[in-house]
Amino acid sequence: MRAVVRGRIGVFHLQGFLDGNNAPSFLTIDDIKATEALNVDMLLVSLKKVIFFNKNGLDTFVRLLTNIRIQKHIVVGFCDYDHTKFKAINAFYGDELSFSLFKSEKIAELFVSSNKSDSKTVLLYNADHSQRSAMAIELFDYGHNPIIAQSLNEFEEKKQHLDLYYAVIEDTYLGYFGQKVATRVTGNAIIYTISNFLDAEISDTFNIAYHNNSLNVGFRLFIFDAYKVISMNVHALNFFTKLSSAAAEYNATICFVGLTFEKTPEAFKNDLEDAGMLFFATMDEILKNKELLSDLGGGGGATAKQHRALNKALINELPHFIDATVSTIAMMTNAEATKNAVKIQTLTVTDSADQVASSIGFYGDIDGLIILIFPRTIAKKACELLIGDIGISDEDILDSLAEFVNIIGGRTKVLLSENKKRLDITLPRTYVDIKTLLEIAQDKKGVQVDLSFEGQNFIFFLTR
Amino acid sequence: MITSEEVTFYIQNIPPAPAVVRQALDYARTGDLTKAAKCASEDPALRHYLKILVNRPLYGFKNEVSDVSQIFSILGVSATVQTLCNYLLSLLTPKKWELFTLTDHQFYDLQASLSKRWERILLHLTMNDKEIQSAITLVPATIIVCEALFASHKAEVMQLRSVKALDFNTILKRISGRDLFDLAAEIARTWEMSDKTIALIQNASGLRETLITEEKTVAQWMHLLLFYELSQSVYVSAGLNEFIDFQIDFVHDIYESFMQVMA
Repeated sequence: MRAVVRGRIGVFHLQGFLDGNNAPSFLTIDDIKATEALNVDMLLVSLKKVIFFNKNGLDTFVRLLTNIRIQKHIVVGFCDYDHTKFKAINAFYGDELSFSLFKSEKIAELFVSSNKSDSKTVLLYNADHSQRSAMAIELFDYGHNPIIAQSLNEFEEKKQHLDLYYAVIEDTYLGYFGQKVATRVTGNAIIYTISNFLDAEISDTFNIAYHNNSLNVGFRLFIFDAYKVISMNVHALNFFTKLSSAAAEYNATICFVGLTFEKTPEAFKNDLEDAGMLFFATMDEILKNKELLSDLGGGGGATAKQHRALNKALINELPHFIDATVSTIAMMTNAEATKNAVKIQTLTVTDSADQVASSIGFYGDIDGLIILIFPRTIAKKACELLIGDIGISDEDILDSLAEFVNIIGGRTKVLLSENKKRLDITLPRTYVDIKTLLEIAQDKKGVQVDLSFEGQNFIFFLTR
Repeated sequence: MITSEEVTFYIQNIPPAPAVVRQALDYARTGDLTKAAKCASEDPALRHYLKILVNRPLYGFKNEVSDVSQIFSILGVSATVQTLCNYLLSLLTPKKWELFTLTDHQFYDLQASLSKRWERILLHLTMNDKEIQSAITLVPATIIVCEALFASHKAEVMQLRSVKALDFNTILKRISGRDLFDLAAEIARTWEMSDKTIALIQNASGLRETLITEEKTVAQWMHLLLFYELSQSVYVSAGLNEFIDFQIDFVHDIYESFMQVMA
């Protein structure tokens, strides 16, 4: 069995009965290797469709999860269970509970980085005060707005107004957590929350792959929320200096907010400033100053001054990218997409009304960005196999479009690996309208392929 | 990916039941096991199947049983009908399993185990309906149909499943409007089984919403039994545990009784 990867979370979906006899059969050696190779921030086992489990059954997965947590510093645990199952797991493991428990996958998603910038209001209660605080801090660090009930009565009372909350967090437990630097997206800026004493461990806890992905998909402003940082040593200084140099290639800006120099040497500040880092006292200084935000690169992502030109290596692989796109559409719809025109130009969209878009970056032996722009009707059709055709909302379409470009990215990766080219793909990003996308990509030169599908046109654009 | 045309082609090419097996089944259904055995003996493949099946550990015989009339009298009327239906289905197994890492013997064991446990369940439910007794034999047809339709699309399905927890049943339904249980029912229709048997097979998907008392009870027990079997280690390894979507809410209210029967 392989984990299904959605955003930054990998989930094993088990079904039926789980005990010590059958549990090892769910995971072959290949499955374990594939799981270890996943680039995720959280790995969970869903118990939604498990009607019976015992401790021996869970233990098999706990062993795998624990190994992966130790290797990769990611959050691991179980999700999608009812109150009875939650109680059973607690009874099995008691004080030895080292993994996390999330009542639903929707709740788990609140505790990982994503490309979405919307802050969610959630109701939170846990009888254990330290758990309650830990969850509130994590949620806040990921950009959400936790409403914390201080007592069960208050919780029950607040729970009556479900429509006020995106989710109600109960029967949830944070095991070993906080190993990764919390990340959230605000508009076109990415905010990393760092705390305590920063040392060499920062290179383990900071998700460099996510950061690179974000650069590749067009983010240009990165803010370190450092209010809770006490001090840093020279190893952390080196880490940030290198990060800043790498960002310069993309013309991206990295800022520190709220960092004090009572216990951190002032000389470090000079070194970081030399490397291109900016310092601000408060977050509002940046986020509420539109002009400054725009200057720094967070105003829409269109501020990259040094465009990275298309290169021969990328153009050579163009057929693979187009093949992957066309074959994915054929797979998902059983209909042929035909290629009309291929031009090297800046992204040109003749009719931007009622269009949705998605993009996925890639890096490795070659790097770049794939952009797909669809009329909404075509996007819906392309995603029907993933979501069905009943009661589909715009959000469903966008979520599936992300999965759709993920498949394209995966296929491209496979096609290029046949030519011994190694590629990693970024998190996909979707655009409810193409205005934001055009702000990021309109000045970039790339290969635009106009394709048609069932009489309607859509655009494939490959750029760097 | 699989197309509606491929699904239609598959249905059109379901082979009819061999005449000798049909006749043996007719005799067995009327309770005439002597004539059924005589008829079955004429088919060497059926004879071989029965001998192999009945002598597997699941049946627990100390000495080898090889005579068809002896086999039928040991099995009794109901189990004979089930065994003949199981044989019919075994004729549809692929030459080589590609989608699922399964062997023919493992598949036969699954059929036999389902039949034996179904007998126990019907005893618990005090149901003595012959069609309900034999309907369970057609449920594994879903596995055969799935293998036949998706074996050549394995890589595509794997890719889809890397981003979304989709089972084969849902994929097929979204593409063709028919699911694996509908196609298993088509097999039953081709083999001229009754409308009731056909409906019972379709209901076992756990997805039919408008079921009334008895048919709902039968569908719930069939669905849970199927997943009980598919959770056995050997079938988990074969990839059968995830080929259809387990409808946990559909079976929730019979779970306690089910576990008592299986204990």
